[in-house]
Amino acid sequence: MEPQTKRWKGLEYDTDSWVVYPVLSDEQSQDVELIEAYAAPILNKKETSRLVRELNSFFPLNGHQHIKRVRACKEKGTPHPLDILVCLTSDAPDMKVVGLNSLLPSDRVKHDGLGEPFLVKIPARPPLTRPQFELASKHWPTSFHEDKQMTVALKGELFSPPEKAAMHMYMRSAVTAAKAAKDRGMEAVGAVVVNPVTEEVIAVGHDCRHDHPLHHAVMVCIDLVARSQGGGCYTFDSHPACQLIPPTSGTHHNEPDAEKSSQPYICTGYDLYVTREPCVMCAMALVHSRIGRVFYGITSADGALGTKFKVHSQKDLNHHFEVYKGILSKQCEGLNASSDRIQSKCLEER
Amino acid sequence: MGGAEESKSASAESFCPSDAEIQKWMGAAFDVAKDALENGEVPVGCLMVYKDEVVAKGRNEVNETKNATRHAELVALDQLRDWCRRNDLDVTHVCKQTALYVTVEPCIMCAAALCLFNIPVVVYGCRNERFGGCGSVLEVSSAHLPQTGTTFKCVSGHRAEEAVEMLKTFYKQENPNAPKPKTRKE
Ligand SMILES: [Zn+2]
Ligand SMILES: [Zn+2]
Repeated sequence: MEPQTKRWKGLEYDTDSWVVYPVLSDEQSQDVELIEAYAAPILNKKETSRLVRELNSFFPLNGHQHIKRVRACKEKGTPHPLDILVCLTSDAPDMKVVGLNSLLPSDRVKHDGLGEPFLVKIPARPPLTRPQFELASKHWPTSFHEDKQMTVALKGELFSPPEKAAMHMYMRSAVTAAKAAKDRGMEAVGAVVVNPVTEEVIAVGHDCRHDHPLHHAVMVCIDLVARSQGGGCYTFDSHPACQLIPPTSGTHHNEPDAEKSSQPYICTGYDLYVTREPCVMCAMALVHSRIGRVFYGITSADGALGTKFKVHSQKDLNHHFEVYKGILSKQCEGLNASSDRIQSKCLEER
Repeated sequence: MGGAEESKSASAESFCPSDAEIQKWMGAAFDVAKDALENGEVPVGCLMVYKDEVVAKGRNEVNETKNATRHAELVALDQLRDWCRRNDLDVTHVCKQTALYVTVEPCIMCAAALCLFNIPVVVYGCRNERFGGCGSVLEVSSAHLPQTGTTFKCVSGHRAEEAVEMLKTFYKQENPNAPKPKTRKE
């Protein structure tokens, strides 16, 4: 793999030193929840299609369409090759003794070819990712509409070497800004806003909470972007590493579509690179600002894009975005360790 | 260590506005919200009170700054800092005895910002079903986030229906600064 990645033009970066993983929603990353159901062995294979038909109409698996009705019995030595799902225990009638007669009225579902029922556990929800599918299938056969991109992303292989090289470059700017902050005795966090269409950096910022408790690197970048659009309400002139990058002239002439598309509106469609996971305030500021995607290096203890909350996939909010972590993780980790040392030094001085 | 330190933390814990104070300051916050609505702005009024004095009065400034984070609460926090500077007072010290009065539950971002400023009490009118950070969408106000500030107490429900009505009136109008959806003409 290594010689191939090194062939990329201008790629003096060691993009193999880090892996980028998506930060998924709770639904996508949680364990497989199981519910109880009754299954029964099919003693006579020839009755299978009739049993499926009759059970589907008598005990439809409403809301559980991901569950397959019949499974093959894997254990060797079982006299019957198939099990059929009769019903969820929640749908079953009250019965003193579990048996075919109490479970199924024989005038609706003929018992021919069916053995005595037993309890099984089946996945409550359709699997959203391949890991969830693999876990779910251990309990009962489950259908899965695979999102191929997600499967690749979960392996850390979503981005191509040139894409990783670009990400490396952007995060390196964020790390440089973080170092500039650290040199001035401030918290070592840096952030960069990029327009992924034009591949231009729009703003670079670092943490300024030393000056203002809310001037985290992300908030600095959001205000710099506002400034690039003729707004903004702060100046960061005293911090030369916090800056707007003027657009390279002529870019838009090469793209007739750029003319047609509307004026930039807050952070719509932009990517943010930040050395560590944003806090709740910054995460929600990114929702309000309609950020496109967020890439961070390492997690943080009170982080709101994966650690304490998942604001980017929070139900009820009107804007969601993709989040990836792990970009330049070692360099970002290094920043964090040294800023912790500064923090504890400050505390000692108090 | 000792007596002084203990009594300070005790007063911070018991710090909570009286009914009369809530009546008075929420009335003032509603006046700010009404004024905003009449001027076609998000009808959220917010003020910060320290020792019976209004030290900050914020309204939403998102449109003029093109910065989507300029909610009334963040604008007010900047004013509070300015007020402290003018009066040569320590921001951290003032914040510990400052209450925020706002007509609508602070959003997730503003709730987190209030934690970062160590504001102990927030009095609000109606719930914020779209963005609320004091329980409606997320519970930031009481979340254990030791690296990013302290929790705050909420007193809610004062003139809630009125605050909701103002929001409904506002959201019926379209935000002229947002880009038009692409499905429309052009
Ligand atoms: Zn933050
Ligand atoms: Zn807000």
